[in-house]
Amino acid sequence: MGIRFNEVSYDYSSFAEGLYTAIRDINLSITEKHEFIALVGHTGSGKSTLAKHMNALIFPTSGSLEIFGNIITSKRNKNIKYNSIRKKVGLVFQFPEYQLFEETVEKDIMFGPLNFKISVEEAKRLAKEALNLVGLDDSYLKRNPYNLSGGEKKRVSIAGILAMDPEILVLDEPTSGLDPAGKRVLMDLFKDINQKTGKTVVIITHDMDLVYQYFNRVLVMNDSRLIYDGNPDDLFKRDDLAEQHLDYPNTIKVLKHLNEKLNLNMNVYQKTNEDALKEIERAVSV
Amino acid sequence: MKSVIIGQYIPGKGIFYQLDPRTKIVSVLFIMIAVFMLQTVTQLLVALGIALIVLFLGRISVMKVIKGLKPIFVLLIFTFVFQILLNKEGEIIVDQEMQLTIFSVIFLIVAFVLWRVAVKFLKYRFILFLLFVATVFTILIFVDFGYSIVDSFNFRVYEQGIRMSVFVVIRLLIIITLSTVLTLTTKPTDLTQGLEKLMHPLKKIGFDSESFALIISISLRYIPTIFDEANKIMLAQASRGADFSEGKLKDKLKQVISLLVPMFIIAFMRSEELANAMESRNFVPGEKRTRINVLVFSYKDILTTVFSIIILASAIMLRVL
Repeated sequence: MGIRFNEVSYDYSSFAEGLYTAIRDINLSITEKHEFIALVGHTGSGKSTLAKHMNALIFPTSGSLEIFGNIITSKRNKNIKYNSIRKKVGLVFQFPEYQLFEETVEKDIMFGPLNFKISVEEAKRLAKEALNLVGLDDSYLKRNPYNLSGGEKKRVSIAGILAMDPEILVLDEPTSGLDPAGKRVLMDLFKDINQKTGKTVVIITHDMDLVYQYFNRVLVMNDSRLIYDGNPDDLFKRDDLAEQHLDYPNTIKVLKHLNEKLNLNMNVYQKTNEDALKEIERAVSV
Repeated sequence: MKSVIIGQYIPGKGIFYQLDPRTKIVSVLFIMIAVFMLQTVTQLLVALGIALIVLFLGRISVMKVIKGLKPIFVLLIFTFVFQILLNKEGEIIVDQEMQLTIFSVIFLIVAFVLWRVAVKFLKYRFILFLLFVATVFTILIFVDFGYSIVDSFNFRVYEQGIRMSVFVVIRLLIIITLSTVLTLTTKPTDLTQGLEKLMHPLKKIGFDSESFALIISISLRYIPTIFDEANKIMLAQASRGADFSEGKLKDKLKQVISLLVPMFIIAFMRSEELANAMESRNFVPGEKRTRINVLVFSYKDILTTVFSIIILASAIMLRVL
């Protein structure tokens, strides 16, 4: 079950330029439980298009994909309840401005649950819970979402999807525009959700430090193709990442640099700053 | 929406791309006036021929224009039908008695259902529609048994009706083709610059052509952007369970609000950002500005203008004589 891509391609068409292929021949399988997946790739490589397929917001131009038993092809099928797919796979967009519209934060978070026929009282409870989960207290419930700061808006928009209690959570750059501390809070939250409930979480990100530190599976997109699907340790051991427009995590970069300049022999593959520091101390004390 | 060609600029080569926008605007205006002066179908057919030659000269694919005219076809058909039905001048060409009986009503319903089913499963919707219309006529003419609901009536088509409907449709076709050529080959920015220059004399009566041109060019520039944003908002709300093609009417109303509010907010945000960006590049309203591309007339412009004046003059001659 979960999500399975089978030779999926998607073309954007425009009158002046003809077709533009955003993703090409994607084969991919995501199980519904216990996966914590990072989706990386440079701007325009097709990450967001791939994510939009995961809850059937857009349909593949060719190929097919299976989402919780529903087969999605290029044509809309009347027998499939697309809304129920979106209840199972929650997708959070990159810019919160695209979804906030109610006059209070509470009402806005309730919008999703109410669309899925959940009673008002229950939706209120879910809204409160989701808001607390993303690290905002109850005083935010009655505030106007448009008067919040960028980071707060982002959290509210994430809470709007969390309140729907999806089986799989897909987030398009949830940490962009947040300060480092805010990033950690949110990443810890997603990891926490993943571990406590076993829900699969897919996160699009550009932050290689986060990828290295938090994830156990990473998908790399380059020029509309999926070129890597595996664990981040193996990915960052490769030497050709620059060709894929990817960067190494800071810990690896710094340690490699120190190895070269000071002619040390440290193990550069350290996930956190603390581990990297320890490795340096160890190498220096020898 | 992406296949709508009207008002869209498509980069290319050919004589129309080299002309000064002022020339193009004035010429199109002249030829349009000329087209409105024509009075007979023959004259219009000649004009249509000239329009096709113009397309050919500009190396603009006729197929592309026809494809882009698709959304207009509905309008053309409507004008055609209304002219035929409502114009009651001249000789009667078709005079057909028709009955509406219980049986014909049943047959009509069956035909309608068959048509809708066929549309679902077959291609060539337009041909199916024509077939349906033909069936309706056949039923009304030949099914005369059973209890009649209204008295038998006559379906009449008059000579003038046919003439006028053909006339109006060809006239519309020419005008749309001409304006499509204009927008197809002229960048919106050039177009507004041309308009601005042409309306410059109006400043004497207090009409600020520069601001006007600026407003137009900004609006044109932001149509695709806003369209894009609307699409994104729709997807974002759909992923919260607000799919526009599912759900009841009451839910849909709420969903429209969930689309409109972010639309307005984003539009306001955009306009504020744009205003700041313009100001930080030293834009002062009403101040004199220089241009990167200065418009220059060439001999081609003079030729084109002369050509359009000749067409206008001959149309006036035809009208007067």
